[in-house]
Amino acid sequence: MTRPIKASAGHVMLPIDRIARWVLIAVTAFSILLLIGPSLIVIAISFEPRAYIAFPPSGFSTRWYQAVFANQQLLDSILVSVRISLAVMAICLMIGVPAAFASIRGTFRGRAALNAFLLSPQMMPGMVIGIASLFFGAYIAFRASDLMLILSLSVFCLPFVVRIVMARLADLDPLLDEASANLGAGKLETFARVTLPQLAPALCAASAFTFIEAFDNVTVSLFTSDVRARPLPVELYYLVQFDSSPIIAAISSLEIGLSFVVMLIIAKAVGLERLGR
Amino acid sequence: MTDAVLTQPRRLGFARRVIDGGGLWPAVPALVYLVLFMVLPIITLLTFGFVTIDRGAITDGGFTLTHIAGVLGDPLVWNLMWRSFWIAVVSTCLTLVLAYPIAYAYGHLKGVWRTLLLVAIISPLLTSALVRTYAWIVILGGRRGLLNQTLLSLGVIDQPLQILNTSTAVVMGMTQIHLPFMILPLLAVLSERDRRFEEASLNLGASQVETFFRVTIPMTMPAIVAGFALVFAVSYTNFIIPQLLGGGNYSTLAVQVYEQTIVVLDWSRGAALATLLLTTCFAFVLAIVSVGGRLTRWSEVRR
Repeated sequence: MTRPIKASAGHVMLPIDRIARWVLIAVTAFSILLLIGPSLIVIAISFEPRAYIAFPPSGFSTRWYQAVFANQQLLDSILVSVRISLAVMAICLMIGVPAAFASIRGTFRGRAALNAFLLSPQMMPGMVIGIASLFFGAYIAFRASDLMLILSLSVFCLPFVVRIVMARLADLDPLLDEASANLGAGKLETFARVTLPQLAPALCAASAFTFIEAFDNVTVSLFTSDVRARPLPVELYYLVQFDSSPIIAAISSLEIGLSFVVMLIIAKAVGLERLGR
Repeated sequence: MTDAVLTQPRRLGFARRVIDGGGLWPAVPALVYLVLFMVLPIITLLTFGFVTIDRGAITDGGFTLTHIAGVLGDPLVWNLMWRSFWIAVVSTCLTLVLAYPIAYAYGHLKGVWRTLLLVAIISPLLTSALVRTYAWIVILGGRRGLLNQTLLSLGVIDQPLQILNTSTAVVMGMTQIHLPFMILPLLAVLSERDRRFEEASLNLGASQVETFFRVTIPMTMPAIVAGFALVFAVSYTNFIIPQLLGGGNYSTLAVQVYEQTIVVLDWSRGAALATLLLTTCFAFVLAIVSVGGRLTRWSEVRR
């Protein structure tokens, strides 16, 4: 391995390089603004005291947050979403974690095919998973319901768990398992006391990620959710089409807050950089 | 070293065999699950385009090409497909142009700035796409929209711009909402690249601009192709953004699929349209990947 050379030291900056540098800085700044600006605007207008949206807000009031918590229909839909997301999380962990084990530690032929199949729901647009579930359900006389929503969202979310757990498993040092075996621990004991604790951060991140993906999902939910007990994203989807009062900004800000909580959990557990891999 | 392993009894209990690894066993629940709740439903979806469906039941049970032929023979469908395609292409190209500098800058940042940039990239990814679409309605909407308010008060324009409910709004929304999907693959490759290639180029007298276009970009071509294919696919099949930012009369192929299944309740046509959407999407992605593969050869030859 050669020693890395200090970048750009001693190189002449040509005029074109100077211009390019400024273009790069400008586009980067614009992209950052584009990434976070809209969310900040939504948070700002959620504190609007009047009944229509304005930026900057004409004052400061929490009346729209109070309106959210006074709205039984919205509260019900939040409860539906929480319940469903927890169920999706449970299913995905139960089937996804062992699958990740087989995928990483497996010694059988066709491991690559297994990998591809486990991650294949990612290739499917949410809408296709939603419509396919709806049609299949209708074919076997099974209506759109909470159960159908949970089952279809779990298909959608499974790859997230598999990917995050697989990444962590691949990083684990197999020597630790061997050491445990050499010290006399059985396979089960090694799993429970050596492998599982090392895996805990990944499980934590995978749970948080799956929860928020299920909680926010609209493309699958629109097709498979119960019409009488709409989850929050579906409720919000109809609200956005017909209403633009700051109450939507207030719900949105709450969702943005939730996404920050999830981000903190993931950052603490495995680090944000991992999410990009 | 292997002594302890060898002295283990050969007989393995079921639980042990599952945990032990090495076998396909632990993946079986997930496989069964995906077959039951993904593969069978998708087969049903593809079948429904070739039979006549009424209230979820096949009416005459016969195989028919009527629905597929009806969809393929409809000039409206071709127009919508063309619109879906160019909107996806334009917004994917814009995404790439905006994402590359940010991913490149990330590699040159350190400490807290690096973390902040990462937060700026990840936080939209975890925020509901619906919330982010709503943000665009707020920004672009009518006379009271933030963009119009600002431009009017600054005196840049004297008539409010009509951006919401046009293709421009749809492209803008898609570009912004899918930006993290393009940044992340680029970020991974750009932050791990071997800087010595660029250093060599600079030492040989190339300008930084030349180095960027002739060394850095070709080196990261696989990530560019991966990001481009991904963002194209999600843009092409997105129906929420065109529906909310394009207004009631605006339609794309994906919007049609939604409307036929949920609003019109013509499931055979919906299934035929969904089949068309899925197959054309895969065809376009394959085309992107194969064109990308040719462009990638550069880096493979020189590696």
